[in-house]
Amino acid sequence: MKKYVAKRVITAVFTLLVILLVLFILMQLMPGSPFNDEKLTADQKAALYAKYGLDQPVVIQFGRYVLNMLRGDFGVSYKISKNTPIAQLIAVRLPVSIAIGGYAVALGALVGLILGLIAALRRDTILDTLCTVISVIGVSVPSYVFALALSFQFGYKWHLFPMLYNTAEALNSSVLPSVSLSMFTMASIARFTRTEMLEVMGSEYMLLAESKGISGGALIFRHALRNALIPIITVLAPLIVDLMTGSLVVEKIFSIPGVGSLLVNAIQSNDYNVVISLSFIYSALYIAIMLVVDILYGIIDPRIRLAKDDA
Amino acid sequence: MFKKKKAAATPIAAVNTYVPVDTDFVLKDNVDDLEIDTNFKAQSFWKEVSYRFFRKGSAVFGMIMILLITVMAIIGPSMNNYTYSGQILAEKSLAPRVPGLENLGIFDGSEKMNTVNGVQVVNNYKDKGLDDTYYWFGSDNFGRDIWTRTWHGARVSLIIAVVAAVIDMIIGMSYGLISGYFGGKTDMVMQRILEIANSIPRLVIVTLLLLVFKPGMLTIIIALMLTEWVGMSRIARAEMLKLKEQEFVLASRTLGAGSFHIIFREVLPNIIGPIITQVMFSIPTAIFTEAFLSFVGLGIPVPQCSLGSLISDGFNSFTTHPYQIVAPILVMAFLMLSFNLVADGLREALDPKMKGM
Amino acid sequence: MKKSILALVLAMTMIAGLVGCGSSGGGKAEDSTQAAAPAAGGSDLKVMIETGVESLDPQVATDGTSFEFIANYTDGLMQMDADGQPIPAIAESYEVSEDGTEYTFHLRDAKWSNGTPVTAADFVFAWQRAVDPALSSEYSYMLSDIGQIANAAEIIAGEKDKSELGVTAVDDKTLKVVLNVPVSYFLSLMYFPTYYPMNEEFFNSVGDNYGTSADTVLSNGAFIVDDYTVAGNALHLTKNPDYWDADRVQLSGISYQVIQDSQQALMSYQNGDLDTTLINGDQVDQVQGSEEFQAIGAGYLWYVSPNIDAVDALKNLNIRMALTMAIDRETITKDVLKDGSNPSYRAVPMDFCTGPDGKDFSEDQEMHKDVCSFDAAKAADFWKKGLEELGMDSLELEMIVDDDDAPKKVSTVLKEQWETTLPGLTVTLRTEPKKQRVEDMQDGNFQLALTRWGPDYADPMTYLGMWVTGNDNNYGLWSNEEYDAIITECTIGKTAMDAEERWAELFKAEEIVLNEAVIFPIYGQCNAEMLSSKVTGIEFHPVALNRVYKNAVKSE
Repeated sequence: MKKYVAKRVITAVFTLLVILLVLFILMQLMPGSPFNDEKLTADQKAALYAKYGLDQPVVIQFGRYVLNMLRGDFGVSYKISKNTPIAQLIAVRLPVSIAIGGYAVALGALVGLILGLIAALRRDTILDTLCTVISVIGVSVPSYVFALALSFQFGYKWHLFPMLYNTAEALNSSVLPSVSLSMFTMASIARFTRTEMLEVMGSEYMLLAESKGISGGALIFRHALRNALIPIITVLAPLIVDLMTGSLVVEKIFSIPGVGSLLVNAIQSNDYNVVISLSFIYSALYIAIMLVVDILYGIIDPRIRLAKDDA
Repeated sequence: MFKKKKAAATPIAAVNTYVPVDTDFVLKDNVDDLEIDTNFKAQSFWKEVSYRFFRKGSAVFGMIMILLITVMAIIGPSMNNYTYSGQILAEKSLAPRVPGLENLGIFDGSEKMNTVNGVQVVNNYKDKGLDDTYYWFGSDNFGRDIWTRTWHGARVSLIIAVVAAVIDMIIGMSYGLISGYFGGKTDMVMQRILEIANSIPRLVIVTLLLLVFKPGMLTIIIALMLTEWVGMSRIARAEMLKLKEQEFVLASRTLGAGSFHIIFREVLPNIIGPIITQVMFSIPTAIFTEAFLSFVGLGIPVPQCSLGSLISDGFNSFTTHPYQIVAPILVMAFLMLSFNLVADGLREALDPKMKGM
Repeated sequence: MKKSILALVLAMTMIAGLVGCGSSGGGKAEDSTQAAAPAAGGSDLKVMIETGVESLDPQVATDGTSFEFIANYTDGLMQMDADGQPIPAIAESYEVSEDGTEYTFHLRDAKWSNGTPVTAADFVFAWQRAVDPALSSEYSYMLSDIGQIANAAEIIAGEKDKSELGVTAVDDKTLKVVLNVPVSYFLSLMYFPTYYPMNEEFFNSVGDNYGTSADTVLSNGAFIVDDYTVAGNALHLTKNPDYWDADRVQLSGISYQVIQDSQQALMSYQNGDLDTTLINGDQVDQVQGSEEFQAIGAGYLWYVSPNIDAVDALKNLNIRMALTMAIDRETITKDVLKDGSNPSYRAVPMDFCTGPDGKDFSEDQEMHKDVCSFDAAKAADFWKKGLEELGMDSLELEMIVDDDDAPKKVSTVLKEQWETTLPGLTVTLRTEPKKQRVEDMQDGNFQLALTRWGPDYADPMTYLGMWVTGNDNNYGLWSNEEYDAIITECTIGKTAMDAEERWAELFKAEEIVLNEAVIFPIYGQCNAEMLSSKVTGIEFHPVALNRVYKNAVKSE
């Protein structure tokens, strides 16, 4: 197992390098430039390119970037916050996104799991249909509509929560964004839990366990849920990364200074360093979480551990 | 650990012949399954599937809704004299008004406006003297008929979503199954490629794609496909990992079956449940992603419309003229609910484990 | 030269940019400066902005939001009055040489917020930074092309050292500026943030961190930054007690909130969390009839630019005339945009430049009505003729459009108007991010483009200069010798000296542009704003600083 983890970590580092290269190439394909104010002359543009080293071949830019990054220097922003080191920019914004994303994941996963379990255990009853309908509503209404509806009702009409995010009451003003973000997770998890639980409970080893006299909580949680968790985690993992790295829509509506809207602004304004750094962080998080998931597989399902040790 | 699973391969005959005594076991609530066993005749697999499927009310309801929406998507736009792109600016932002129903005090073209001076009820039909004008779902900010646009949008969304989901399924499923089955180095390399493809934020890829190619239905389908296949392949792979150590695979291999036979003939039918659930999920996801693309300005080009672009247009008037968003959202929600119900029905009808019991 | 004479010279070509849009424009915002009796106490003004502040470095910033923010805490030599005229700020007085190429500014006793006095050296340092190739300021042309400061262009090009810039500190309180040619609007440039001073000692002490937090900026203006994070969504300024003109400042501070969604903005406004906010056209239905709703001129002219050089069909004048005559501008502004924008039948928008006769250049919107107006029948005639000349019976055109709210709406209507009025025409709309649209235009990769242009200085030349042969922004590559001659004559020829003749010539030039349908003007942009009735004295301007809060008063 240790050997396996070590091997995976080394591969991950290599993968990240490849991703960085791909990102660099993608930036080259991006139309426009960070300095395309209509009123700039060609000479000025050339001077700006030279200043930031953007006139160099991609290979040299890439090499330079990797070297700088190893020293913790992610470059400066060209447009969104001019000449500000990216590290500083992200250090302000990433924690906000992680916090709100974290609440959303926790809330979504918990509620989703409960809804899914109820639906599976009370299959084909009114409760089941109710859970289905609730979870479908979660994915039927785009998050921006949902977010605005929440804000209108709870913020504007009832004054229960702030309509906009503010650092002074960070927790309170995170409620509405977290709830609207969690809807999709909740719905996905509920659907999947139901499916997987039904599948597991229809399997022979559950019948066997049942026939051995195991029942109630132990049967559901120790035997059924444990097996159902594998696919659930597969679905949850990428959602975690997506949520933690910020959602453009919710950030835009609640004016949250997170990294989701930062990425979109950066793409729209060709702020290369910001796009690359944020994408890279996203990739690193993603790979890290997938690694954890793979290891978790082993813990949850011994069959997979065996398969992996063979490999 | 292993013994528990070995039991799975053989017990069919035993269960059928043995009549349990009440005191032996507490009966599992699988009365339906036992009934099937009583007429365990030579029935084709698909016949059984459809039998089980149509017995489930919610699945049938979902199917009817999908059919209904599909039919409306085909004929809806031609049910009145408006076109989806024709603008009558003098008749913009009119609330829904339906002949007949208007006499009951609903859908009579009046709307509540949340103005800074408080809530006001206005009827623009009356104010503008449009006595014989009817917009069943209302009209939008350009004076286009929302009824026509909603069904036209449903048509576009359905095409985009179904095509994208089917392509996703084919690519993602094959990729995941192959990767999971062969394992080892193959799996390692395939998973790294997938990791790279998937760990670059999709907004970056999609934006680039839509900038490089001309925006349109095809580009959006490609964009959706590029970003959605990964989820499918992950499910397929996880299922494969779960199944490939099982005895029926071993049996098939012992009998000399080739890898591809095992993957697509032996394993695939066993995992069709999760796969179909995933397809049914990727249809709404595709509709959603399209809506998101509309939201960031990369959606279907105007004056074309999809459910997503209608919702994102209606969103801008959400607090002013809420009815503009209601129709597309309802159609979308019903589509979503229906696809989910059908998926459930199908999954249960298809489940090979139930077939055996 | 005495001040009074200078004022006269200025009056001839200078800004009178009193902003008024539609019928609801104006009133309160402008006349409040005088009316505002000092209210007791004072409180924070809560302001909404759509996008974040890009930079606090006055020589680096390029966007309106940053300019507005910087101007809250920094004074230049001059400041803007309510009418957009330059009035003294850090400069207590000034002299101009006979030939108009040498300015001498006498500085008042003002202090930076760390206690050091504001000196002439601070200006020299800042201006040298602005042209320093090492900084590559995007707005360096404000000093070279527009300001015409001696040697600025050469320094930017790397031919001379920045110490040779035509600005010197005679002593701590005296600043001398040498220009290449007389620039009639030079004083009004002094309130443009690129010209703001920068304290060298402080700048060097914070190094690269300048302007990344409240502690790394200095203030010499009405307010002090006390809460700032890079690319933050909530920013705060508080009143500067040591400001040289502190008595006039009534507000206790300003808090800025970035809100991207206009519905959230209006709800926040209605809840009292904001004192002023932008809203979009769709929301006007909700606020119609409210006294707090106003349309504020934004200065931009929106127009369609045909690619005359590259598209054969658009080379045909009849086709272009048909396209411009088929646009119902009134409908676009009244029924679609609804934000108070004005239809424009002129190539230069209203409300930013006043002529020697004291009238706005574009006051008479019917001046060129036989070539620029809405006339469906005429348009169809032109269209028929054009198609005959081309030997076609149908035509497909593609228009590139920014993927922002207003341009998308306008283009949707344009398409419909064109296609219904001009039989056989199909217009495809291609929406793309603005940067892409600009790049496509620069590369000539377009057929029709919906674009906008904001004035850089208060003279029609900021628009008319664009369509000269070889100009970088002449994207349609239209070329006309007569036109070029007029423009040259009005810039550096004899006509340039005679204000009235110049004005007449500029009308002629504009007529050529519209006769030839080089662009199809559509509307002059206004922004729909809500402004709380508790607040008076905010000054709105279409150029340089969009909003000035120094004189704002908020009553409780």
